[in-house]
Amino acid sequence: MVNARILVVDDDPALAEMIGIVLRAEAYDVAFCADGAKALDAFHAERPDLILLDVMLPGLDGVEVCSRLRAESGIPIIMLTAKTDTIDVVAGLEAGADDYIAKPFNTKELVARIRTRLRPVTRPSSDTVRIGDLELDVIGHEVRRGAERINLTPLEFELLLALALKPEQVFTREMLLEQVWGYQYKADTRLVNVHVQRLRAKIEEDPDNPKLVTTVRGVGYRAGS
Amino acid sequence: MPRWLDPRAWWRRVRRAWRSSLALRMISMTLILSTIAAVGVGIAIDLSVRQSLLDARRTQLVTLSQNATISGQRYFEVSAGQGDPDFETVLNDGMRAIVNAAATTLEGTSYALLPAPGQNVPSEFANVVSPALQFGVLDAVVSESLREAVAADEDGRVYSQSTGLPRSSGGPAPAIVTGSTVEIRGVRYELYLVYDISDTQQTLSTIQFALAGAGLVLIVLIGVVAFLVVRLVVGPVEVAAATSRRLAAGDLDVRLPVRGDDVLATLATSFNGMAESLRGQITRLAELSSVQQRFVSDVSHELRTPLTTIRLAGDVLRDRTERFDPETARTVELLHTQILRFEGLLSDLLEMSRFDAGAVEMEYDRVNIARLAEDTVSSMTTLAEQRGSELVVIAQGGHFEAEIDARRIRRILTNLIGNAIDHGEGREIEVWVDSDAHAAAIAVRDFGVGIAPGDLERVFARFWRADPSRQRTTGGSGLGLAISLEDAALHGGWLEAWSAPGQGSCFRLTVPRLRGMRLAGSPLPLPPEAPASDEARDAVTAHGSGGPR
Repeated sequence: MVNARILVVDDDPALAEMIGIVLRAEAYDVAFCADGAKALDAFHAERPDLILLDVMLPGLDGVEVCSRLRAESGIPIIMLTAKTDTIDVVAGLEAGADDYIAKPFNTKELVARIRTRLRPVTRPSSDTVRIGDLELDVIGHEVRRGAERINLTPLEFELLLALALKPEQVFTREMLLEQVWGYQYKADTRLVNVHVQRLRAKIEEDPDNPKLVTTVRGVGYRAGS
Repeated sequence: MPRWLDPRAWWRRVRRAWRSSLALRMISMTLILSTIAAVGVGIAIDLSVRQSLLDARRTQLVTLSQNATISGQRYFEVSAGQGDPDFETVLNDGMRAIVNAAATTLEGTSYALLPAPGQNVPSEFANVVSPALQFGVLDAVVSESLREAVAADEDGRVYSQSTGLPRSSGGPAPAIVTGSTVEIRGVRYELYLVYDISDTQQTLSTIQFALAGAGLVLIVLIGVVAFLVVRLVVGPVEVAAATSRRLAAGDLDVRLPVRGDDVLATLATSFNGMAESLRGQITRLAELSSVQQRFVSDVSHELRTPLTTIRLAGDVLRDRTERFDPETARTVELLHTQILRFEGLLSDLLEMSRFDAGAVEMEYDRVNIARLAEDTVSSMTTLAEQRGSELVVIAQGGHFEAEIDARRIRRILTNLIGNAIDHGEGREIEVWVDSDAHAAAIAVRDFGVGIAPGDLERVFARFWRADPSRQRTTGGSGLGLAISLEDAALHGGWLEAWSAPGQGSCFRLTVPRLRGMRLAGSPLPLPPEAPASDEARDAVTAHGSGGPR
């Protein structure tokens, strides 16, 4: 099997090199890019399986790079951020990042986050799952409403699939963090909130009045109403 | 006595109103002074009118009495010529003639015709007294001095005096008595005529009534004028007061309207100048503060990136410890723990500077605090077991949902439990959870050595450490409790400490169940169990600055 390729977009050469050392030890292929403005070119040239993206970058800042990447690909993106204040984190997530890692982080955290994003966790028995008027093709990672195909990132697909597989169950944010993001107990519920918003924007007829992914006040989310 | 009847309470209320209202003071002062002036003027007018009225009346009556005396005297002289023998008849007829000449008022004229003292009286019925003056009334009405004056008279003058005439009801009617002398058949007689002047008094009363009415209307008018004037002056002052209140409340853009060129306009102009300079200052401070925040944020980024590299490098080295000789391995281990410590310190410092800059954002959520406590406890069980402590959650009934920032509450709890593990001497640690309709509380109780009474006050101070000689495992920054206190205060909550030497200590966190509610008490006692022994009663309790006063 070919090693997964990871693109590290970070302007700090020491940190980038150190991340490279750690990831190579875990048998990943690593490519580097130090300039935000060149990140998209690097993405096209290297065809990575995952991108580690620093928020503060010269040229083009990380949030902007993230939304440009998202515009053309559903590739897993993990932001590296030194600022854990709400605005900074939410800005990255809203731009389409799947997850974020707050600096300083350790090797275990880094590797765990990357593994979760590279290996989908849910493995349903059937090939297609229905939720409302949507049809989820589990093998092809595709979502259709009738003949229309809806583009979801792998993470959004995971999130929707997790909810759709157990339509009876109400998922707390912590449960979703564990199942979709692979967190054990360190929980930042903003991840869930932002991604549910992004998912609704794509699949709901009226995102302000969601029918497919509904909020259960004080508890969490569930599929349907 | 009900409270509203208590005169002292009323007095206090009036005094407060007096002190607090400039308008009330000005209007009442104006009213009091103008009332005094009006009453004074009224009394002066009344006195002078009364004097001139009575004088005129007296002059008129004296003239009347003079004429009556003359006609009486003539009658007696005529009757003497006719030689009528009956002295009494002469007296009575003469008197009737006098009275007819003197009758003026409706009430009629009372009269008395008496022989002068020391005269030879021909009959025992030699005097005539009208019914109203009989039975001793005469002596009360006609004073001794008048009688003496009349008795001493030589030139036929008429004397007069004010007096009171007894009435069947009420006080004496005002009256004027005149005294003169007549001669009847050689006997000298004194003639007294008493005129009831109630009608004059009536006139006087009418004038007094009109005066009082006019005075009252004047005072009311002055009151209204005072009110208008006060409105004119106090109104702008009140506007200024309201404006400064809004300014104090943070509305920096409010200004006073400047009208005209008077003192009030000057006040408004200087007020606006003050507001302008205040806004300038505050804006400058706000800019400084945001520069400070940006600096903190930049420092955070700049420090964290190299720290991440160091951390990763340390991790890589630590993964390869088995390849190193023991000393290098130990060095790597030390490097690792100190990196962790440095990391903790950095994040605590940044958190603290965020509090100081006021740059904190609360993320409220409805959270089951019992579950939050259990989650936190289970995440720390391993650490506790390493130190031989058992963590026990004691969740009593109640409303466990509370509107809190779960991350901050979890951080407080982690810190409290960490401290309890550090100082718990390997004994059991209890985590109590309870709530009522208004507040939710979590208390962490350890049974270690406790905190010295003198130190209990300082546990929330920054960088304060209990007994520096004691070993520490969590290697805290010394900011833990300070941060917890800030976190509690952000919720509008309390963080309080209790300790008794030898019995351990207890930290109790109380937060309102709903955002913005005010705390009145805590659902949990401090410490959570009722103190049984005597020493426990000597225990000291310290409140953090977010605690109840």
